[in-house]
Amino acid sequence: MRGVSALGEVKVRAPGSVARGSVARARALIIHPNERVERKEGKPVDRNYRFVNRVVVSYAGRDIAEFETSTSIGENPSFGFAFRVNEPGTLKVTFFDTHGGRFEGAAEVKLG
Amino acid sequence: MPERSLTRREVLTAVAAAGVVSAWLPRAAVAQGSLANLAPEEPVDKTVQRLFGARPIRDGASIINLDLPLIAEDGGNEAMSVEVKSPMTPQSYVKAIYILSDKNPRPLNAKFILTPGSGQAYVATSLRLADTGDVRAVAEMQDGTLFMVKRTVRVVVAGCAV
Repeated sequence: MRGVSALGEVKVRAPGSVARGSVARARALIIHPNERVERKEGKPVDRNYRFVNRVVVSYAGRDIAEFETSTSIGENPSFGFAFRVNEPGTLKVTFFDTHGGRFEGAAEVKLG
Repeated sequence: MPERSLTRREVLTAVAAAGVVSAWLPRAAVAQGSLANLAPEEPVDKTVQRLFGARPIRDGASIINLDLPLIAEDGGNEAMSVEVKSPMTPQSYVKAIYILSDKNPRPLNAKFILTPGSGQAYVATSLRLADTGDVRAVAEMQDGTLFMVKRTVRVVVAGCAV
């Protein structure tokens, strides 16, 4: 994809329509450095590293999953997951980082 | 400059703003990303003990599919996925999937908390791997039963300090 991507930009990819009662898979990606711990002479350097430490997934207004994440996830973290579709709704993914950042992305899912 | 006293509105606005700032400051001042707030650097056995104590961990080979390359060309961003064969009903479901990398200084990479609304116990992400070694996936069922699988990944270019 072309264009300048800014820290905190979130993309959520999910099927646009899903049969009622079935399970779909989605992927959410955030533009984020997800900093790793620096080491000097073998010792970790102490500072406030900026990384995504929590991700909350909701569908049709209900929380369905939560991920506790770390510096061991690569730059521009992406997460794949599944969700059950009993009704049309919004799939929402919220990323939280260690600097107080809160970034949201969403995709609409219809019954089909 | 003409001198004038503050109006009631100005005073109230200032007080309200100060209240907002003081409510906001303590939270923002917490350095969530400092070393003290990260998981400790420790050998993987210690992480497993810290997470699960003395609870038995069963072989998960028949129910967990841990998919990741045997050779990691780029330890800085290695795609992986985990799928656990299990119902996802309120009576029986996978409530968490843990990913651990034995050779990372902080072996717990991520904990995925799931619910019956997840529909399937499936998660995927990309890992930083510090060195050649095992990557483990642990599935925790709603009744607390634990299952684990391991896979050795050869890391060509390390993900550096992780």
